[in-house]
Amino acid sequence: MGTPLYTIQSLVHAYRGQTVLMIDRLEIPGGAIVGIIGPNGSGKSTFLRLAGFVEKPTAGQISYNGKPAAPFAPEVRHKVSLMPQEPFLMKRSVLGNVSYGLKIRKDFDRLEQRAQAALAWVGLDPHEFIKRPSYALSGGEAQRVALAARLILKPEVLLLDEPTASIDALSAQLIKDAALKVRSEWGTTLIIASHDWQWLYGVCDRVVHLVRGRLMGTGRENVVFGPWEPGANGLWGKVLSDGQRILVQPPPEGLSAAVIDHVAIAPIDQSFPGGDRRVRLSGLITRLALEKASGEILGSVLVANLPFTTALTEKEVHEKELYPGRRVHLLYDVDSIRWF
Amino acid sequence: MDFLLQGLLKALELLRTGDAETFSAVYATLVVSTYSLAVTLILGLPLGFCLGYFDFRFKKQVRVVVDTLLSLPTVFIGLLVYAFFTQRGPLGEWSLLFTLPGIAVGLTILALPVVISLSATAVESMDRQLRVTLISLGANRRQLFLSTLWEARLPILAAALTAYGRVMTEVGIAMMVGGNIKWQTRTITTAIALETNKGEFAMGIALGLVLLMIAFGVNVSVASLRKRY
Repeated sequence: MGTPLYTIQSLVHAYRGQTVLMIDRLEIPGGAIVGIIGPNGSGKSTFLRLAGFVEKPTAGQISYNGKPAAPFAPEVRHKVSLMPQEPFLMKRSVLGNVSYGLKIRKDFDRLEQRAQAALAWVGLDPHEFIKRPSYALSGGEAQRVALAARLILKPEVLLLDEPTASIDALSAQLIKDAALKVRSEWGTTLIIASHDWQWLYGVCDRVVHLVRGRLMGTGRENVVFGPWEPGANGLWGKVLSDGQRILVQPPPEGLSAAVIDHVAIAPIDQSFPGGDRRVRLSGLITRLALEKASGEILGSVLVANLPFTTALTEKEVHEKELYPGRRVHLLYDVDSIRWF
Repeated sequence: MDFLLQGLLKALELLRTGDAETFSAVYATLVVSTYSLAVTLILGLPLGFCLGYFDFRFKKQVRVVVDTLLSLPTVFIGLLVYAFFTQRGPLGEWSLLFTLPGIAVGLTILALPVVISLSATAVESMDRQLRVTLISLGANRRQLFLSTLWEARLPILAAALTAYGRVMTEVGIAMMVGGNIKWQTRTITTAIALETNKGEFAMGIALGLVLLMIAFGVNVSVASLRKRY
C-alpha cells in the first residue's frame, strides 16, 4: 500500500485555550471520498479548515503525500481547496470570482472559456451568469459559483463544508453531482462534512464520526449526551421529550456521552421483550440509506427527538417491512454502552 | 458685500490669465499633498492592514494610540517637525526646513493616522470568510494582502480621500515648516492666510476656488471609479 494522501498525527486545535479538536491518528488515501458527520459544534468545520491548510493546528502534524505541510506551503497551496459552509464571493463579477484562482496562478489561457465550462458543470448557464455581479446571485447560485471557482482549478483534494445546507433542492442536487464528477474525471479526493447523512453513506468510501472534537468511529454509533440522573436498580437515565427513558450504567461524569453501538430493531407489533439490563424504546423509521462501502442498509429511527442508526440487511427490511413511516421497537443492552 | 464680489471677479481674472504667483501656490500645494499622500499610502496601508487583520498582544492599546493621533493638533506637528529639522535639531543636516519635502514630511505625519485607522477599520469589517476563500483558492501571503485591500477598496478609497482633504487644507504645518516663502513654499492655504491679512481678497478667493475645484475633481474621479469597480 502506498503513502496515504493525508496522515494526521496527534492533532490538537484550540481556540482561546479551549480544545475543539483532538485526533490521535487518521489516514486518508488519495482518490477517496470521505464523509464527516457529527452534531453541530463537533469540530467538523475546524477539521476541514486544518485539512484544507487554511489554519495551522495548535499542536500535531498533518502530512500531505508523506511530507508535513502547513498553510501557504507550496506543496499544498495549489492542490487543496476548501469550500466553506457560507460561500464568500468577492465584489467582482461571476467571471472575476470563478477565474480568480487561475489568475493568481498566472494561468491566463482561455480564462473566459474555462470559466464558462466550470459554470456549466455546476448547472449555471454561462451566458446568463458570467457577467453578473456577485451581489445579484441567490444563495444557491452563489454556492454553485463558489464551487465552480474551485472546480476550474482541478484540485487534488476538494473539501466541502455542508455544501448543500440552506440552499434549494435543485442547487443541492447539482452541487452533489458536480462534486462526484470531479472524483470520476480527475480522481480528486473528496472530504465532505454534511448533515445529509443519506447522501454521505451513499457516496463515501468511508464515513468518520466526530463528536466533541474527537473521532468516534464510522458514524453508525448512537451518541446520547448527558446530563444523566440516577434512577432505580443502580441505573442512571435521561428522560426524552415524549417521556421515554434512556437507561445507562452509572456514567463517569454527569455530562458524559453514552455510545450505543448496537441497536436491535423490530416492528412495534412483534414481541420484543425488554428486561432489567435490556432497554426497549419505541420510535419511527425516518429513512433508509444504502451504505456504499459495506452494501448494508442503514436505518434511521427517531425516538422522541433523538435519532438512532442501525444496520439492516435487505432481507430484514423486506421481511419485517421496515420502511420509513413505520413505528418500531429498538432494543439495546445497558452493559454494552461505552462512554465518551 | 461689494469687496467680495469684486474679489471674486478679480479672482476669476487671475485664474483666466494664469497668474504666476497664484499658480506657484497651487503647484506647491499639489507637490506637497501628492508626496505626502503617496508616502502615507505606502506606509499606512500595510500598517492599517496589519492592525485590522492580525490579532496580537497590545492590539487594543495600539489602536487607542492610533485613534488618539487622529486628533493631533497640526501646530504641534509643525512644532515637532520644525524642532527636528532646524539647524540645531537632530535632523538639521538634512536641510529640509523651509522646503516642500519638509512640509510633505509634516503632512505625512498628519495623514498617516487617518489612513492607518480607517484602513484598519475597513479590513476589520471584512467578512472572515474572505481569508478562508482566498487561501483555499491558492493565494500566497502577498496575494492575500493585495486581494484583501482590493476587496476593501471603497472604504480604503474613502480613507485616502479623507487624508487628502486633511493635507490639502492644512495651514499650521505648511506655515511653520515651510515658512510661507513666496515662489518656494507658499501653498494655497498659507497664501490665503497671508493675502487675507493684507486685505487682498481676490487672490485668496482665487486660491479658494482652486481648492474647491481640486476637491470637486477628486470626488468626481472617485465617484466614477466607484461606478467602474
